Amino acid sequence: MAEGFDIDHLAKLARLSLTPEEKALYSSQLNSIIGHFQALAQADLPTSIDDARVVRESALRSDVPGPSLGAEAVTRIAPASRDGQISVPRVVDDEA
Amino acid sequence: MAEILHTLSAAELGRRLTAGTLTSRALCEALIARYDVLNEKVGAFTHLDRADVLAQADASDARRQAGEGRGPLEGIPVAIKDNIAVKGQPLTCSSKMLASLVSPYDSHVAERLRAAGAILYGRLNMDEFAMGSSTENSAVRKTFNPWDLTRIPGGSSGGSAAALAAGLVPLSLGSDTGGSIRQPASHCGVVGLKPTYGLVSRFGLVAFASSLDQIGPMARSVEDCELLLAALASADARDMTCFGSDERTLTAAGEAKKLRIGIPKGFLGKGVAPEVAAAVNAAIEFYRAQGCAISEVELPSADLAVPTYYVVATAEASSNLGRYDGVRYGHRSAQASTPVEMMTNSRSEGFGPEVKRRILLGTFVLSAGYADAYYNRALRARAKIRAEYLAALSQVDILLTPTVPTPAFKVGEKASDPLQLYLEDIFTIPANLAGLPALSVPCGQSGHLPVGFHLVGAPLSEAKLLAAGRLFEAAHGFAHQQAAL
Repeated sequence: MAEGFDIDHLAKLARLSLTPEEKALYSSQLNSIIGHFQALAQADLPTSIDDARVVRESALRSDVPGPSLGAEAVTRIAPASRDGQISVPRVVDDEA
Repeated sequence: MAEILHTLSAAELGRRLTAGTLTSRALCEALIARYDVLNEKVGAFTHLDRADVLAQADASDARRQAGEGRGPLEGIPVAIKDNIAVKGQPLTCSSKMLASLVSPYDSHVAERLRAAGAILYGRLNMDEFAMGSSTENSAVRKTFNPWDLTRIPGGSSGGSAAALAAGLVPLSLGSDTGGSIRQPASHCGVVGLKPTYGLVSRFGLVAFASSLDQIGPMARSVEDCELLLAALASADARDMTCFGSDERTLTAAGEAKKLRIGIPKGFLGKGVAPEVAAAVNAAIEFYRAQGCAISEVELPSADLAVPTYYVVATAEASSNLGRYDGVRYGHRSAQASTPVEMMTNSRSEGFGPEVKRRILLGTFVLSAGYADAYYNRALRARAKIRAEYLAALSQVDILLTPTVPTPAFKVGEKASDPLQLYLEDIFTIPANLAGLPALSVPCGQSGHLPVGFHLVGAPLSEAKLLAAGRLFEAAHGFAHQQAAL
């Protein structure tokens, strides 16, 4: 099992910006929780995970167009919108 | 009559509405008056749209007058946990991230309740994004246990349980990922059912851990819980895990007095408070005296349930909560000039500490180099736990344990130790890992605090669990019990 983790790397993967105090707190708490996970390392476990599926996944339906919310309802709940579209900070520079 | 309406069961309210001795408007006005006096004290609701409630009640009364009543829930208020979408109502998950979100659509269960004539009554407080066991993780407000206002109501459906125990509403909806319906039901002295995975559609339930989440009914009596379940359970193609109409036949209840009840070895020992063990042992003796066959069963991997759950649930949560990026809905940080800054700052400002902790943990167990050691081993442990439960349930009809090892703790008592809080779920988690139905029924008190027992059955055995619960409730008179406030 793993010997440790890099809190800065995890925060970057999770797109979270943490203060130094948060980093210290979460590092300590995650260490304690991950310690509890060691029971999984020592257990005699089956090799197949088929039994872990609690429901069959045969219910994929065909792609059939149906009613949708529509642009007005969607932009009403968006943080920022313009001309019926959701707006975000500039993604590509003008020169690109 | 108004002063006693809040004590009545949904079934009794339905009889009075049908007989014409009560109107839905009078019922809703009485409950709103009680809300105005008590909600500040209990903190069960985060939102109540009085005008909308009364408009729904008037429409229900008009349907009845016209002979167009829609069934046993016609005119009965059902309060809804704030992670289940109701069109035009807030959908905050008790998070700053969704503080200003108003749902543009109805969940499947909201559609079902409307079709049954129920009144969609207010939004209930919860742990943020359903992550917690005490409702202390709500970013909106604290909820207190109506039996002792210095204690937690349980969680994450703490508002759903506290609203029932305080007589603020006769029925409520919760969601249950690791015990979030049953644990607060036990702590607040009410009844809560987590249905078989796939019985109730999650369309419109804000996702936490999709292989574990279920919506379920909560009530002050087993009969009411059954009434609400009947309205919720139906096929829905919008949730691919929801059983089709040809796959959802419930096992017949049979005669409750002939049920074979299994007691998992060791579950009443270490870590269980003596008063909880005494109340649950008394329930076991009750069933034995009724003629049920009681036997001990082995669940040797039970100790793996909590670590397995916290790997699987946080892995799925870290993925599901990736959608909160400040783009389409929810909080967007004002401090951002690039898309990545916008996402990072929005998430950092919008999520509370427990949500961040679980996202970090889930990110870790899925990350390169660690996924085999944690996530994949947890899936294998889940397979083993499920196989053991199904094997035990081939020998007996029902497994009986405490719902929670100890009664409700003081507000703030476990706030600084997440691992201790995670261990609250030790008896409830396996039913989620194995996709099984499970019911919590009040069975006594530890001092002045309620204690519940927990029944788990094979897939689609809800009728057996409810029949067993009714047998106990009929003999003990816990039904419709409320805290004195």
